[in-house]
Amino acid sequence: MTVSTQTVSTIQFPYKRTLGPVMGRFFSELTARRIVGIRSGERVIVPPMEYDPETGNELARDFVEVGPAGTVRSWTWVAEPIASHPLDRPFAFVLIRLDGADTDLVHVLDAGAEDAVHTGMRVAPRWRDEPVGRIDDIVCFVPGERAETPEGEPGEAQEVTTMEYFSTITYTDVLSPTLVRYASNLRAGKLTGQRCPQCNRVFLGRGYCSVDAIRLGPELDEDLPDRGVVSNYTIVTPTPYPGQKETEPFARASVVLEGDEMVIAQQQILDLPVSEIRVGMRVRAEWMPEAERDAAEITSKGWGTVAGFIRGWRPTGEPDEPAEQYMNRVF
Amino acid sequence: MTTRQKAGETRETAVRQDSDIAIVATAQLPAVRRQELTETEMLLMVVDEALGKVDLKRSDIGFSCQGSCDYISGGTFSFVPNLDAMGAWPPIHESHVEMDGAWAMYEAWVRLRHGDIDIAVAMGSGKSSTGDPAAIYPLELDPYYLAPLGLDPVSLAALQARQLIESGKSTERELAEIAARSRRDAAGNPNQQVRTAEQDVDKLLAEGYLRNPLRRSDLPPISDGACAVVLVRGPRAAELTERPAWITGIDHRSEVHNPALRDLTDSASTRLAATRAGGVAGVEVAELMAPFTAQEVILRQSLGLADDVLINPSGGALTGNPLMATGLVRIADAAEAILADGRSRTLGHATSGPALQQNLVCVLEGDNR
Repeated sequence: MTVSTQTVSTIQFPYKRTLGPVMGRFFSELTARRIVGIRSGERVIVPPMEYDPETGNELARDFVEVGPAGTVRSWTWVAEPIASHPLDRPFAFVLIRLDGADTDLVHVLDAGAEDAVHTGMRVAPRWRDEPVGRIDDIVCFVPGERAETPEGEPGEAQEVTTMEYFSTITYTDVLSPTLVRYASNLRAGKLTGQRCPQCNRVFLGRGYCSVDAIRLGPELDEDLPDRGVVSNYTIVTPTPYPGQKETEPFARASVVLEGDEMVIAQQQILDLPVSEIRVGMRVRAEWMPEAERDAAEITSKGWGTVAGFIRGWRPTGEPDEPAEQYMNRVF
Repeated sequence: MTTRQKAGETRETAVRQDSDIAIVATAQLPAVRRQELTETEMLLMVVDEALGKVDLKRSDIGFSCQGSCDYISGGTFSFVPNLDAMGAWPPIHESHVEMDGAWAMYEAWVRLRHGDIDIAVAMGSGKSSTGDPAAIYPLELDPYYLAPLGLDPVSLAALQARQLIESGKSTERELAEIAARSRRDAAGNPNQQVRTAEQDVDKLLAEGYLRNPLRRSDLPPISDGACAVVLVRGPRAAELTERPAWITGIDHRSEVHNPALRDLTDSASTRLAATRAGGVAGVEVAELMAPFTAQEVILRQSLGLADDVLINPSGGALTGNPLMATGLVRIADAAEAILADGRSRTLGHATSGPALQQNLVCVLEGDNR
């Protein structure tokens, strides 16, 4: 049975960051289509910082309006923008020295063509129709002295105290030969690992001995029982956060495979109220139906997982192992 | 401390003290575009190889430190399974930095300076192949002013390179010459990834821009890899290897995080770190972590390296760039210039952060017999 040798996963973080008194002022001013810097000795720093970049001393909050026009101090041409770029057509990243500033601002320039861009050219902002207090309230800079502003006068500056930033990264993970074998076996309903010739412990889904730090090859592959004992558990009362799908208290249990010390952590116990889960309880794996088995969660990070293949563990009804046997364990 | 010699003076008089620390062995995996082994497996291999060179076992190690980055791995706490490369049961003394392995080595060096242990291992590992550096890298930047603009690393390097060229400190031809030299050197180094690419300067200059004024040859490859070094304190070092690479100075300096607020054509932090690490006088080989050609010029000028200093004979970061190991590889290669090639004074450099924000300089010396 073949298993894809790569898994694709996307991690997303919806950030909401507080801005503090200095950046907060900069972003608030943007909502009134003004750009401010901060005085640091003889210099005006744009965008403003809370401290002097040379000395680290906190700066007095002496804000100075600069620009809106400025001079390009460096540039590069992006012929093929990617999704994380602010413009979807060819553009230039530029360093701009705004009039009245002594440092450069990084931004983008919409100049149409590469040969229209040069160091020393004059540029001015194109303002967003409805500013929200972010650096991209300036959609981009454009060639010339005059800012491009929407119809009508800007209103009073709005008080901006936080900034939202949605970060998303996609990873493509190529599985190691050990994990490819491991996932193939899971798909066939078999739990497999390798036994360390030095310490005799068995390890699942990693290809090395975590205790002796030696690599374990396919010659050491072994079928493992899909039965075990609950060695530890926790009951989680979910609070809502992005990605949390649970709404009621739920348990996550560690299962030690029968006859070995291999622990599979973060497991669900099926068909039992969370209040009745016990250390020492004997359980058996409930495999997903063959058609639903999915290796999407098998990645080269961590210590091996059974997610996508084993739905959870069902109590067998046999008498418990003595709980004392499972004391002094982390998992 | 070591009696500091003047530049060029023979080192036969050098007195190594109990508190002196040397690199006695190094190992690295060849940088490749996509490594199927896990980071832990890569680390297992380099630690095995480095320890094997000096007949040490993991149980001989008093302290270990890893450098890696969860943003690159795409997994939280990836340093925890990575620690399995050392065998962490029964418990061991170890640490981790979310930095290049060069900074892990710095921490291991500091730990050895306490004087109660003799042997430490430092590691760096990373698999850039799993993600898109152009999308991940902006998340390392200032989250308020820069990240929302999606300023990717190649674009930032291009802004820096243009300022270098337009200020008269370099030329596109010089950058192409650096690319060509790096590729020639890499052809002889099996650890490097870009080993058969074009080496003719005129042909490189005839290629189009990827990000004006940078061409593809001015950029590093995307690489996976790992590196480990063994550090030993005092006379034990000379028992383990014939001619240890003594760390006579190591220093790390940082500049303001927003690259637009500093002079991108200079590296004040590199200059200061080198001064604090004992200076560059007498250095024969410098392994500089310059993933972009223009950054090699900036580093060389900031350090004031003489024309006869051999720069990046390994092929450098331009031909193999396993992020989180690249800097440690520079120091390992500078150490091997002493351990294997008989050099007397070498320099390893590592950088971190946008456009050379942070810089670490390590000066190494070998004793003449």
